[in-house]
Amino acid sequence: MAVYKRTYKAYEGALTPAWSRFLILPRSAYGRLMQSKFLVMYLVSCFFFPLGCAAFIYATHNLSFLTALNIPTGPVLKVNNTFFQFFCGFQAGMAVLLTAFVGPGLVAPDLANNALPLYFCRPFTRAQYIFGKMSLLLAMLSAITWVPGLILFLIQSSLAGAGWARENSWIGSSIFIGLLVWDVVLCLIALALSAWIKWRIAAGGAILAVFFAGAGFGTAVNAIVRTQYGSLFDLRRVIGFVFSQLFRELPPTTEVPVSDAWTALAVTSVLCLWLLSKRVKPFEVVK
Amino acid sequence: MTNDRVVFDNVSRFYGEVLGVNRVTLSIPPGITSLVGPNGSGKTTLMNLMSGLVRPTRGEIRVLGIPPDDPERLCRAVGYSTQFDSFPRGLTGYQSVAYFLRLFGFDQVKCDRLARAAIERLRMGESAHRKVAAYSKGMRQRIKLAMAIAHDPPVLVLDEPLNGLDPLVRSETIALFRQCAAAGRHVIVSSHVLHEVDQISDQVILLSNGYVVAEGQIQGVRGEIQDRPMQVLIRSSRPSMLASKMFEQDHVVEAQLTDDGGAVIIKTRDADRFYRALNVLALDGIDIEGVMPVDDNVNSVYEYLIGGEGSR
Repeated sequence: MAVYKRTYKAYEGALTPAWSRFLILPRSAYGRLMQSKFLVMYLVSCFFFPLGCAAFIYATHNLSFLTALNIPTGPVLKVNNTFFQFFCGFQAGMAVLLTAFVGPGLVAPDLANNALPLYFCRPFTRAQYIFGKMSLLLAMLSAITWVPGLILFLIQSSLAGAGWARENSWIGSSIFIGLLVWDVVLCLIALALSAWIKWRIAAGGAILAVFFAGAGFGTAVNAIVRTQYGSLFDLRRVIGFVFSQLFRELPPTTEVPVSDAWTALAVTSVLCLWLLSKRVKPFEVVK
Repeated sequence: MTNDRVVFDNVSRFYGEVLGVNRVTLSIPPGITSLVGPNGSGKTTLMNLMSGLVRPTRGEIRVLGIPPDDPERLCRAVGYSTQFDSFPRGLTGYQSVAYFLRLFGFDQVKCDRLARAAIERLRMGESAHRKVAAYSKGMRQRIKLAMAIAHDPPVLVLDEPLNGLDPLVRSETIALFRQCAAAGRHVIVSSHVLHEVDQISDQVILLSNGYVVAEGQIQGVRGEIQDRPMQVLIRSSRPSMLASKMFEQDHVVEAQLTDDGGAVIIKTRDADRFYRALNVLALDGIDIEGVMPVDDNVNSVYEYLIGGEGSR
């Protein structure tokens, strides 16, 4: 029986800083994720379009090269805000599919295995857990969206000269802000659905449904209620409105004000955070 | 408040309208403490409260003087093993232990050393590099314990830690608990196996419907139950004589010869007076071969205090 004499000594050595501890989650999850050949193949395919864009930018600055290949040149070959807006729209679509592959595996397995108490009975907060899980997907999404976008912008700036870069620096900011906002919204949707749907395949389906069923629902609302606000249920369209504003390509009459599109993204994010806070708890009560 | 105790001061926890625990006041000293009670009695809630996973709706908790508002210190002081088979998917036993050690902020080398040490203490060295998914229930249980003890916490909170262990590993694990308790740690376990609780516990806490029904050393708790006469088995060469003499005492309510005829079971309302009377009889020449309390174990106390509510 116990003699109650303390013979142990607690650890008093150096610790890693608390702020960086969330990185433990993506670090270990990344290796496991990359074991999926399908995901690696998809990730690689996400870089084809940026590579094509880079080639296009090179070609527009080397017209003699195109002429040598007997390729007609004309006003179509122009790298401007429309070009970058199209790039952002395309990569935003690729990001949705990547989210549907990666997102379901974020929180669902921990919930299915009741593993959350293991995290939270250690010096690790719910915010760190969510941020840790989110950072993995955010890093992958960034790698296929705004990072190649900014690289293309830099290529164009270096080829077009300092004058172009100075004049169009706002395009760089638009690429970064627009795609980062989209990535964050995607991450939050993926985390929330992963937290509520424990079955991975169903969670992946639900992520896609948010975008495709949302588009259908929005169209139906527009038709039935004779409004344009149903478009706010179609998140791809919503981000399209946001891109239009950021790239100064607003059509004369937009369906809904861009401020409402921003509000729709904010509401979606807050809703996802609320859903996450309801689900990511260290305990479960059986009523 | 004492800094070497786990203290609950009028703690209540409600999950909406569902009662977790109510008005719990406890002061748990170092050593092995068992939480005993039927399903839904509040054992896991009490453990979640002391490990900081759940905050009390009312009242105050201090674990070695640390409030739950200071999770950074609290989580370092507490090692918790849940009743669930909870592991992130795809990890080996070693990876599970090392991965969660990283959350404490230890560097890779330290994590590796602590993880190996904890795994060795639970004798899981040989299978440490196999996937947890391929483990038996007992092996998973041992890895969970390794995860709880790996960071060397002064308070171990273990929910059903002996479930699924074979007899050999069970006795090794109990030895580990004793070792931890002897080193001055708190080992707080919940269990349904009452004879094991009896074997290992320095003190017990009996819970029913979210309330603490009794706490302390089991003999002390039994002594407090006045409405149930204490049963004592006495082996003697003349059990009938002993029974008749004892029955003359006003505190003795029943005397019953055992089937083999070599002993008598006496039920008494006053243990002190009973033992005094037994001394007198022994001095008068009645041969007494052995005296053994029959119902001062957890099983009986559980039966008396909680009854058929959920006893197994």
